[in-house]
Amino acid sequence: MLRDSFRRVSPRPLMPASTDPIPVRLTDVVKRYGRRTVLDGVSIEVTPGITGLVGPNGAGKSTLVRAILGLVKLVGGEARVFGHDPYRHPRQVREMVGVVPEDECSVPGLSGVEMVRYAARLSGLPATEALRRSHEVLDWCDAGQERYRPVETLSVGTRQKVSFAAAIVHDPALIILDEPTNGLDPIERRAMLGRLTRLARNHGKTIFVSTHVLPDVQAICDRVILLARGRVRLAGGIAELTRPARPAHHLAGSGPLDRLADALTAAGLPASVTAGETGPLIELASPRPEQLAAIWSAARQTGVAIRSLAPASRPLEEIFVQTLRQAEQPVTGAAFPAAGGSHAPA
Amino acid sequence: MPLHDVGYRSWSSSRCGPAMTVWVIALTGIRLAWESRWLRRLVFFAWSPALLFAASFFAFEQAIDDGRLVTLGEKAEGGRNIDGVGMLGTVLADALGGDPNEVDIKATRRLVWTRLLLAFMRAPQAILLAAVVGLVAPTLISRDLRAKAWLVYFTRPVGRTEYILGKSVILLLLVLVITMLPALALWLIGVLVSPSIAVAWETWDLPVRAVIASLLLAVPTVLLALAYSSMTAESRIASFAWFATWVACWIAHTALTTADFVASSRQREAAVARGAASLQRPQRRRDEAAAGPLRGQFKWLARAAGIDTKLDRWAWISPYHALGAVQAAIFGIERRPAAWLPAAVALVSLTVGSLLVLAWRVTAPAQA
Repeated sequence: MLRDSFRRVSPRPLMPASTDPIPVRLTDVVKRYGRRTVLDGVSIEVTPGITGLVGPNGAGKSTLVRAILGLVKLVGGEARVFGHDPYRHPRQVREMVGVVPEDECSVPGLSGVEMVRYAARLSGLPATEALRRSHEVLDWCDAGQERYRPVETLSVGTRQKVSFAAAIVHDPALIILDEPTNGLDPIERRAMLGRLTRLARNHGKTIFVSTHVLPDVQAICDRVILLARGRVRLAGGIAELTRPARPAHHLAGSGPLDRLADALTAAGLPASVTAGETGPLIELASPRPEQLAAIWSAARQTGVAIRSLAPASRPLEEIFVQTLRQAEQPVTGAAFPAAGGSHAPA
Repeated sequence: MPLHDVGYRSWSSSRCGPAMTVWVIALTGIRLAWESRWLRRLVFFAWSPALLFAASFFAFEQAIDDGRLVTLGEKAEGGRNIDGVGMLGTVLADALGGDPNEVDIKATRRLVWTRLLLAFMRAPQAILLAAVVGLVAPTLISRDLRAKAWLVYFTRPVGRTEYILGKSVILLLLVLVITMLPALALWLIGVLVSPSIAVAWETWDLPVRAVIASLLLAVPTVLLALAYSSMTAESRIASFAWFATWVACWIAHTALTTADFVASSRQREAAVARGAASLQRPQRRRDEAAAGPLRGQFKWLARAAGIDTKLDRWAWISPYHALGAVQAAIFGIERRPAAWLPAAVALVSLTVGSLLVLAWRVTAPAQA
C-alpha cells in the first residue's frame, strides 16, 4: 500500500472520466457564503480553445474558478471537469488543471526554478524529470537567468512568468488564469497572450482566462462569459458577440474622408464618417467583391490613401457596459439568455 | 530566444503517488528550515547532553568492569558527584538500594540504563525539543498563509492530509534527530563500553522503548505547534502561543503541586495540634523512603529519572509533565495507572484537538 503510494503510477488519472467533449461543465451552480449568494444558478461550458471570463469586481469570478478546482463546496447544481466532480475527486481534476492565480503566491525562500520544480514535484513528476521540465518551460517563458533568484525578489513580470511556468510544467489539459497580464509591460503582455494562443492553437489546450482587460479577451479569446452579481449575463463566441447589427466594414485612411464617404454613397455603398479608436474612419456597408474596385477608384479620385479596410466589429467594452447596465435594471428571463448559447444582449 | 528554448513540448509519463508528495513537502520544508543558522546551532547543541550522559554510561560500565560498582555506589550514597554530571550518582545510589554487597549486575544495569535514558529524554531533550519546534513550527503554515502559498498546494493534486503530513514530517524528523537518534546512540555506546556484547540482548527492549518514547514526545508536540501555526498568518503570534503554553502550563502545574503540598502540610500541622503527630510520622517517613536518596542539587535529575515516586496528580495539566509521566510508563518505571493514565488521556485529547484544528484551518483559506 505504502509502496504503491510512493511508486510511479500510470498516467491513468489523467484520462477523462467520461467521453464528454466539454472540459468544464457547470450546471445551475449555486454557492453562498452565509446569506450572500455568490454564484446564483451559474451554467457555463468551457470548450477547447480560449474562453474569457469577465465581470466587475465581486461578480463571483474567483469563486467560480474555485468551484472548478473543487476548493469550495457548492450549495446546489453540478460541476464537472473532464467528467469528474471536482469537489469529490479533486486529485483527478487538479492533475489535469494548471492554475495561475491572481495573487502572488510563492513559497518564500525558493528560487524561480526551484519554485517551478516544486510545483512539478507536487504534481507528481519524478525528481529528474521535474527539473528538466522546469528549465524547459522557463526557457519557453523567456525567464532567463532571473530564474535563479529567490521568488520574493523577482520583478512582477518575472514572477508572473514563474507562476505561469509552474502552472504548465505538468502539461495540463486545462489552464486557468486569473488576470494573467496584471502588471506586465506591453511587450511582456503581448508575449504572454502569444503563449496562450500557441498553447490553445498548437497544443490543443483548453484555456480559461479570468480578466478585467477586455482588449486581451477580444484579442485572444474564442468565447467570452460575462458574470455579474453571481449570474451569467452573457455568453457566446467573440465573433458573434462583436458582430454589428448589420454587416459593415471600417475603412481607415488619410485624406478627405468625408468626400470619399460621399463618393462611396454615390457609387451605391452607403457610407458615413465615424469616430474610431485611433481617429476618424468611414463605416460603409459590407462591399461585395466586385465593389472593391469601385472603392479603390473613389479613393483615388478623392485623394484618400487607404490604410485598412476590415469588417467592422463592436468593441467588447461597449457590449460589456451595455450588458452590465441592463443587469443593474430588474432582470427578465428574456433579457439574459442562458449560458452556453451564442447570444448578444437585447 | 534562449539557446536552449525547445518550445513548449507536451509531457506524458508516469507520475508519483501521494506518499511522494508528502516526502517532497517534507524535504523542501527541511531544506528551507535548515537555512536558519539558529536551527543548525540548536540542533548541534541539542546533542551535547548526549555526550554527558554517554560519560555516565561509560563510568557505570567501567565500574562494573573494574569491580568497583559497590565502591562507586557507596560514594554516590555519600552524595559525591561520581561522573561529573551527577546523574549516575543519583541513579546508582537508588539502584543499589538496600545491601550494596549483594548486587545483581544485570538488574542494576537495566535499572541504571533505563533511568539514564528516561532522564535524558525528559530533562534536556524535552526542553530542547520545545526550543527546536518553537523555532521551526510557527512559520511552517503561517508563512504559507501569509504568502498565499496554500494556492501552490491546493491548486495541485495535494490533499489536506498530504499537506498536514508533509508539514508534520518536517518537525518529526527534526525532533527525532534530537531525541530518538541520541537515545539510540546512548544505548549503542552503553553496549560498546560494556564488558560483553551479550548486554545488547539483555537490554534489547530499551532502544524500542526509546523509539516509542521519542514518538510520544514528538507527535502531540508537533501537532500542537502546527495547529498554532495554522491559526495565524503571523508566525510571531504562533511562536508566542507555543512558548506561552509550555511556560503557563508549567507554572500552573507548579502552583497546583505547591498548593497540594501546602494543604498537606497544614493538615499535618493540624494533626500535630490535635496530638496525632505520632500517627503522621510513619507516613512521612514512608514518603521520604519512596522518594529515594535525593540529595540537594540533583533532586530534579532524580525526578526526571523517575526515582521520585510521589504521585503527581497534576501532571496532565502541563505538556512537559504529562509527557514525562507517560514516558516513565513506556520505560516501565511507572506502573501505577493513576500516575500516567490522566496524562495519557490529556495527550491524546491534545493530539486529537490539534488535528481537528489543523483540518479545519488548512481548508479555511480555500473556502473563504
